[in-house]
Amino acid sequence: MSKRIGILTTNFYSPDGLRMIYGGAERYGFELTKLLMDLGYKVAWWQIGSGWQKELLHGVQINSIRETKNEFMTFPRLNQHFHEQAMELDYAIYFVTFLAYPQVLEKSISISHGVFWDYPEFDSQLPTESAKKEWLRRYHIALSGPQKVVSVDTNTINWINATWPGLSHKLEYIPNFADINSLKPRGNASNKIKVIFPRRLTSVRGLNEACHAAKVLTSRYPDKIEFHFVGRGHSDLLEAEALKWASENKNIYYYWQPPHIMYEIYSQMDIALIPTKATEGTSLSCLEAMASGCAVIATPVGGLTDLIIDGYNGILIKPTSSNLIEAIEYLLNNEDERQRMGKNAKKVAEAFDIERWKQKWEKVIKQVFR
Amino acid sequence: MGKHRENNIVAMMPARNESGRHLCEVLNHLSQWVDKIVVLDDASEDDTFEIVNRNEKVIAYKNEHCIFEENESALRSKLWELTIAQNPNWILAIDADEIFEDRIIDEILLLINQEYYDAIYFRVFDFWSSKICYRIDGGWNPWTTFWPFLIRYNPDISYYWPNREIHCGRFPQPCENFIPYYSDIRIKHFGWADAKEHYKKFLFYRDKDIKIFGQIRPHTQSIMITPKSNDLETWQEAKRLSFLKEVYS
Repeated sequence: MSKRIGILTTNFYSPDGLRMIYGGAERYGFELTKLLMDLGYKVAWWQIGSGWQKELLHGVQINSIRETKNEFMTFPRLNQHFHEQAMELDYAIYFVTFLAYPQVLEKSISISHGVFWDYPEFDSQLPTESAKKEWLRRYHIALSGPQKVVSVDTNTINWINATWPGLSHKLEYIPNFADINSLKPRGNASNKIKVIFPRRLTSVRGLNEACHAAKVLTSRYPDKIEFHFVGRGHSDLLEAEALKWASENKNIYYYWQPPHIMYEIYSQMDIALIPTKATEGTSLSCLEAMASGCAVIATPVGGLTDLIIDGYNGILIKPTSSNLIEAIEYLLNNEDERQRMGKNAKKVAEAFDIERWKQKWEKVIKQVFR
Repeated sequence: MGKHRENNIVAMMPARNESGRHLCEVLNHLSQWVDKIVVLDDASEDDTFEIVNRNEKVIAYKNEHCIFEENESALRSKLWELTIAQNPNWILAIDADEIFEDRIIDEILLLINQEYYDAIYFRVFDFWSSKICYRIDGGWNPWTTFWPFLIRYNPDISYYWPNREIHCGRFPQPCENFIPYYSDIRIKHFGWADAKEHYKKFLFYRDKDIKIFGQIRPHTQSIMITPKSNDLETWQEAKRLSFLKEVYS
């Protein structure tokens, strides 16, 4: 009989169950689920919600738990209810590290998708020294419980090693992935350079700076450049506003696409913007753009420095609109450099092929789930 | 699990007395991106049946007596049976006054030739007294709700219809549990584009509300309330991603 794995996350869907989150972490969740099923496990998910149940993949249920209380950036009640409902589980995966507080299943793994405490509002969420201390105390417990902590980037590993050297034996570096066989540059047939911002519409991803750059550069080079903002917002209103804004400029597009169509979108693009300000791991969007031969303009934030070597396969900037404009303009006006960086990006992305990611995960799974 | 290539789409459309409205425009647009269009003419008294038969992709049937006004689910159920007889991989449920924006022409094959999603949801924009503006107040707000218009047909599933006089949904019951994708391609609904039709439609929905709910619902009442200027937004067609069509060319 198949062994059962329960995966606990915060939001795969919005808490009302009506809106699926199409972010990189959710893509990761799909691929991890498929891998676990291929290895013969039976998988079920749990998340915050109003009590609904859905089918996430054929044969994979996602259940919601009516607990939303966030204490010091942890969800102890969600954790408790998960364990109460998880009586029949053999193993657990805590899809976000802080969900492994306060208790864990004996044979369990947690996943760090990158440092999240560099988020601009994080400080105001823990405004006193005692609150910060309590968060650290709880976070240490959360990292100590599972047998392994899989980190998508070296940034998190370095921070944990520097903060709590005693946890280093738990950490496994498995960077994010790109499906190299499906992602291929096709070549942009139009006479305009296509720039993509393939992120959710949030300020922490550098949205405002990218919008400003798009406005300035489409006005400066109306026959030479177009921008594609591709990703969902956090609200219907924001998405409506984005579409109206894009409609006013013939060289700015706004839309979203499912992952399999994103492969076709990337294949037509020349430059990818990943001007993240915080809470970044080894971005799937960045890797997929690289695998598609895009020159990438990114920031030295989170795990992006695991992917981009400044001047080799992209450009690293501080996320300001003037820096962004300057970097885009450089790639726009230096075709050889753009081509060179795009080719190097593709080459580097090969080291992040999804097959390698599966092999690394399989090794960790076999060590823990036995 | 579904196929990831060479899927076909069969559209199913109920129609009644659509002559002089939007039917030709709707059929011409649909013909560009679906394989067949099954039309069930619900006992039209005008030349609707002749109009639909002029379109090469249409397979038309006609009821002797009008079913919709008595029982919508009976009409939808009959149309469903006629549609699945065409061996569809995907079924599009569309009305005679609904047109997708042109993006669908370039993207439809990519949306259906995949194995994961079994239901594609879209948002509907109700054009108000013109084909220029759509209504956004109250329950008319198009931005917040996605509806299933396109589903993968699986002959191994038992489908059944709720017995409802009105608002029974466009697809039979199990379809609401299919794994969804929420597309940003929009649908233009011209059912309210002619102000002259509002009162007649109001009377129809008013009577149904009283019969089913015992009162007139606020949304039905709002039909006769002229929207303020800021309750209307001007439609701007989204730009086509024509390069996506080249994937299948």
